[in-house]
Amino acid sequence: MGAEYIPVLLLGALAFAFAVFSVTLATLTGPKRYNRAKRDAYECGIDPTPQPMGGGHFSIKYYLTAMLFIIFDIEIVFLYPWAVSFGLMGVFALVEVILFIVTVFCVYLFVWRRGGLEWD
Amino acid sequence: MTPEYYIILSAILFTLGALGFLVRRNAIIVFMCVELMLNASNLAFVGFANQWGNLDGQTIAFYVMVVAAAEVVVGLAIILMIYRTRRSASVDEPNLLKF
Amino acid sequence: MNELIASVFETPVINYRQLSPILIILGAAVISVLVEAFVPRANRRVVQLVLVFLALITAIIWAVTGAGQQAITGEGAIAVDGPGTFLQITILIVSVFVAMLMAENRLDPAGDAFTARANSLPGSEDEREYTNRGWTTTELWPLFLFSVGGMLLFVVANDLLILFVALEVMSLPLYLMAAIARRRRLLSQEAAMKYFLLGAFGSAFFLYGSAMAYGFAGSIRLGDIANAISALPGPNGLIIAAVALLSVGMFFKIAAVPFHMWAPDVYVGAPSPVTAFMASCVKIAGVGVLLRVMYVAFSGLAWDWRPLFWIVSIVTMLVATILALTQTDIKRMLAYSSISHAGFLLIAVIALNPQGIASTLIYLVVYATATVGAFGIVTLVRGPSGEATHLSQWAGLGKRSPLVAGGFAILLLSFAGIPLTAGFIGKFTVFGAGIAGGATPVVIVGAVASMIAAFFYVRVIVLMFFTDPAEDGPTVVTPSPFTGIAISVSVILTVIFGIFPQPLIELAEKASIFIR
Repeated sequence: MGAEYIPVLLLGALAFAFAVFSVTLATLTGPKRYNRAKRDAYECGIDPTPQPMGGGHFSIKYYLTAMLFIIFDIEIVFLYPWAVSFGLMGVFALVEVILFIVTVFCVYLFVWRRGGLEWD
Repeated sequence: MTPEYYIILSAILFTLGALGFLVRRNAIIVFMCVELMLNASNLAFVGFANQWGNLDGQTIAFYVMVVAAAEVVVGLAIILMIYRTRRSASVDEPNLLKF
Repeated sequence: MNELIASVFETPVINYRQLSPILIILGAAVISVLVEAFVPRANRRVVQLVLVFLALITAIIWAVTGAGQQAITGEGAIAVDGPGTFLQITILIVSVFVAMLMAENRLDPAGDAFTARANSLPGSEDEREYTNRGWTTTELWPLFLFSVGGMLLFVVANDLLILFVALEVMSLPLYLMAAIARRRRLLSQEAAMKYFLLGAFGSAFFLYGSAMAYGFAGSIRLGDIANAISALPGPNGLIIAAVALLSVGMFFKIAAVPFHMWAPDVYVGAPSPVTAFMASCVKIAGVGVLLRVMYVAFSGLAWDWRPLFWIVSIVTMLVATILALTQTDIKRMLAYSSISHAGFLLIAVIALNPQGIASTLIYLVVYATATVGAFGIVTLVRGPSGEATHLSQWAGLGKRSPLVAGGFAILLLSFAGIPLTAGFIGKFTVFGAGIAGGATPVVIVGAVASMIAAFFYVRVIVLMFFTDPAEDGPTVVTPSPFTGIAISVSVILTVIFGIFPQPLIELAEKASIFIR
């Protein structure tokens, strides 16, 4: 009783020491360039300045497409194991997979109807 | 190969993720650290599945991947929204709530 | 590996009758997504409201008629037992009233509490145009239904994977719901980011804890883990790591000190009806699961985790109460009050006896009832730019609107645990369970904390009734029947539970056995 906690404590102490070390190191060695804009309070109500087209940033559309891609792409993960052992699992699994695909399809309909697939 | 090595690796990844979460300031990086923690758990699950000789751990890894993907999408949506409003992705800068 | 894969497949036995409340809500959520896709914008709100209330009430009927048939279904992954069903029904009923708060659209001249369009920049021309068109974020409703569905699954989950998936189904929609306030949108968006990052951090701890538990027991079923613990010859690092990580994950969800940092900010930033949802339903689900995991899986390790829980409980009660004293914002004060209630609930988890389960159920009902009403009243007191949440603006409210101030006073007294209100019954039963479970020191701290807490609740009551109202103070807006009913029911139930607690206590005691 008690001895088994020593590694946990040790790990905690190590993690703490590392965190303190990195934060101190960063404040000591990192660049310190302050300007007025950084010190200013943020004022609400002012219309944000429009950014120039491109301006080194990706269009918001890319992120939207990326997000949709991730979500629909990863759903496939459930279909591979099912497809591989389809013969083994029979009707029950077939029904489950159809239900799953229908649910995903509902979301697809939502994205389509709300214009998530249009580029402009 | 014993599964122990995988577990040790996963513990290291998890700790790195947790530390990164605490010290990094960019929302996207902080968020990647959380994903690192989830994937560390996945590695642990698969390692333990090998050790126990059952498939539970591998099945769980699939679910965790899907949940992590859903989390990525929700997180990106929120961070993007803030970024559009504030033109910054620092977790320190949005500070209206600290008073 | 091939010999593993070639094992025989058996069709799993799934008892759909007992899962029906969950399936109804999640099915309605999918239909709700389709409504968003195909119903024209002008009719969406009405269609969504009909769908949501229909789904919630059908689910309540199915849950109530199915109550009492205890069983482990879904091949051991789900345990529909007394506490599970009790919490499901509680969550559903509280959700009805939360949905009423969300449906309110007469308080704000521009519409309901949610932004016209979430993707328009705050303060931009677009935003004004959408607001003038009378648009609103009806996507709230599918998110709300998914979140409720996640909670229903969360409280009956019997294995760590289902727990994790349900946790995420519950939390992910909430992160988005926090971001769509109509007023003070920057604050709301920041709240969402904070909630998301810390929520995801907590979930990651929970998942890694699950991995450790799986590594220890070779199974993720709570019952199997308990068996593996009782077969354990000596101490084992894996399972201790598992208990610690799982507890941290759940402490994040119920906002126990020191994992509470997100709660005040998120409660303030999120739209008030969503805050009511987070403070009531999420707390019910989170504490319910903490109770199940600790009682079913880890009761054999009580000697290892109890000291940790003692400390967390004591620190939560004291720190939250003392910080609540210093707050000048009513929503922030309610947030700290909500955190302190997590501390009181932990006493029942420490108790580790059937009384502990029953008292947690009672406390959760009582707490959620009062919370929904309190945040409902917060939405009524408004200035020109939205809700007036600064305490000084509440001065003299009792003279201007005695009914609303009186209701709020009753709810505050219930939070404080003054006799003849429901809160007293909650605290009384939890303290009783704590003493029976051998946690007398924690109970003493709890009693001290509730005395300090009573001071700041009474301070607000004095402010409302015995100070003069400011000249340009906020007005109390008359709500539509939605909010009106939700607040009245909350206040009336708080009084009824306080005076006639017996039926509630008996019901909770009948429901207080976990099955594995």
